[in-house]
Amino acid sequence: MNKILLIIQREYLTRVKKKSFIIMTFLTPLLIAGIYGLIGYFTYKGIKDTSDKIAVVSENSSLQDQLLSGGNISYSYFNGNLDKAKSALKENDFDYVLHIPEFNINKPTNIQLFGYKQASITLENRISRDLESLIKNQKLRLSGISQSQLDALSTDVDVEIIKIGDSGTEKGSSAGASAIIGGSIGIFMFIFIMLYGVQVMRGVIEEKTNRIIEVMISSVKPFQLMMGKIIGIGLVSLTQFLLWIILTTSLSGVAVGIFAEKNKAKPKVEMSSNPEVNAQIQAELDKSSANPVLDIQKSLSGIPMGKIVTLFLFYFLFGYLFYSALYAAIGSAVDNETETQQFMMPVMLPLFFSYFLSLTVVNNDPYGTLAYWLSIIPFTSPIAMAVRIPYGVPTWELALSMGLLILGFIFTTWLAGRIYRVGILMYGKKTTFKELYKWITYKS
Amino acid sequence: MLEINNIVKQYASHKALDDVSMRIERGKIFGLLGPNGAGKTSLIRIITQITAPDKGEVIFNGKRLNSDHINQIGYLPEERGLYKKMEIGEQILYLSKLKGLSSAEATKRIKYWFEKLDMKDWWSKKVEDLSKGMQQKVQFVATVLHEPELIILDEPFSGFDPVNADIIKNEILELNKKGSTFIFSTHRMESVEELCDNIALINKSKKILDGSVKEIKQSYKNNTYWLSVTGNTSISVKDDLFKILSNEIQDDHQNLKIKVNSSHQINEVLSHVMQHGQIQKLEEVIPTMNDIFISKVKGENHE
Repeated sequence: MNKILLIIQREYLTRVKKKSFIIMTFLTPLLIAGIYGLIGYFTYKGIKDTSDKIAVVSENSSLQDQLLSGGNISYSYFNGNLDKAKSALKENDFDYVLHIPEFNINKPTNIQLFGYKQASITLENRISRDLESLIKNQKLRLSGISQSQLDALSTDVDVEIIKIGDSGTEKGSSAGASAIIGGSIGIFMFIFIMLYGVQVMRGVIEEKTNRIIEVMISSVKPFQLMMGKIIGIGLVSLTQFLLWIILTTSLSGVAVGIFAEKNKAKPKVEMSSNPEVNAQIQAELDKSSANPVLDIQKSLSGIPMGKIVTLFLFYFLFGYLFYSALYAAIGSAVDNETETQQFMMPVMLPLFFSYFLSLTVVNNDPYGTLAYWLSIIPFTSPIAMAVRIPYGVPTWELALSMGLLILGFIFTTWLAGRIYRVGILMYGKKTTFKELYKWITYKS
Repeated sequence: MLEINNIVKQYASHKALDDVSMRIERGKIFGLLGPNGAGKTSLIRIITQITAPDKGEVIFNGKRLNSDHINQIGYLPEERGLYKKMEIGEQILYLSKLKGLSSAEATKRIKYWFEKLDMKDWWSKKVEDLSKGMQQKVQFVATVLHEPELIILDEPFSGFDPVNADIIKNEILELNKKGSTFIFSTHRMESVEELCDNIALINKSKKILDGSVKEIKQSYKNNTYWLSVTGNTSISVKDDLFKILSNEIQDDHQNLKIKVNSSHQINEVLSHVMQHGQIQKLEEVIPTMNDIFISKVKGENHE
């Protein structure tokens, strides 16, 4: 059998059979699903339970019984004066007391909200918005517009975002969903490349400190050993990744399913018998940010998941190969892990750099100059391009970036191979960058 | 079987091997000797194709050394090493598969060796649970399992207790009888005398001595004899004939160490000594490899 296959097999099996691998693989999706579930639970709970009950004491008759409950807020008009309302507030009958005094319609002042809790900025904004719209309507009526005309005025506008693809196809998309997917892909890439790159480095150091290296390279070429290790560990990462995806989606699917069902259930009861109105309400519910779970689900349908997954796998694989070759070279140049520090910096820096910029700049401006260059240069492209993919990237940019990444991978592997073949046989010497350069230029 | 021709190996700051040549014959046990840092390991690394020489060539069975020969060489490095967390059986299996053995064949042979070396229940043990001597045994099995034509052992007995060292020595002799050629790098001269047919001595990157152990020892004799004579009469010394190096008087006889002058024969000395007493024993002093090693290396270093 081919020697490199044997090495891949060993590297793969010894890692996959480890208890820590099995525990990590099964625990992580549970954690992710758990967090997902918790978010879903609290979002759901938030919608239902934490609506603020507000007692309105209106001394302004024109605003009597005008404020309408909805969303997280429920108004009730209090029968009595402010003092009574305040004492009722003490009894916890409601959360806040809104006091609307008689005021000049052109200059409303002294509107107050009492409560034992500090009102949130959202609540404050909501109340002033509600009042503003009431007062505006009142002004409109005063200027002679009838109620029916007013009703006819209100229209609901929903801007649908359509992305035009390279081939001219038009697809719905959502910036929010793209940002979420891009962001999580960026984090994932960063963690995976680091995690498994360091594993390659540890593996090389282990062979060196165990001195098995001499036995090994009397049987195989250093390059075969290095590549076998890199590919073997790469397969471990893919295995773990695929298991995570399968487990996470199935578990999260269950969690999402439960909460989505619960969220839908309640509004349905209040629906009228008119099917047209029902459809409208349903559509609105789907769009409304009050139901983020459904919102994400809907936006996801506009994103080509198949393409993203394929490209993600490509960038993950070659990003990993690109960096792990460098990690292997570092491992070969040192005697133990504590000595890796000085060489780790130049390798970690571009990773951190692309990670932070990807989450900020690229995610905010996915078509900007910086985003473009970050996603073209091989050092940063695995993360930067992965973040850009959900937004849609022109094919030629993708091709250029992928091509450069493959070239970059060949280059780092060549470079690492040259350092590796010298480094693994060097013991007890502190290596400097100058020395590394010498190793690269050695003839074999 | 192995010809090493004019090998030069230059490292950045020093020359590890300087125009070294030697021949290793099939079926022999060849001792590669030399003080620390002489260049032995560099030479072994070239033979095992871990590194390549800057100049010169190695001929293996009539062909220039190439990657096809890897499977015909077994190498036990001085710095022993195994994967700590791997099971022993699996580990030997892996190493021998890398040397081209099939899984089934390797398993069969491992079982044979485990039986032979009293390691039967070691298969699923991990290396980190073994003592150093036990690890050495495992490594020895891994080295010879693929039945290589050429087996290179770097300090094979270090770390073994006398019992196990003896077991390994016998295995080496047995394998040698079956036709394996050995290169043996060591500082322990007594094992060289016991095992080696031929040797080469390397000092300061250069080969300074080679040949068969017997011949080398013969050529390093210097007309020195142990002579045992009864009676404690003092023996008069004839300066042009011989010198007494040491004289130890016991109850009824004395033991003399004498050096015969190169222009005379031992018989002339005997006939002189006979006049003083009864000769009980005469033995020629043949230098040990240890003596030769020390005198050669010291002599070199003084120049």
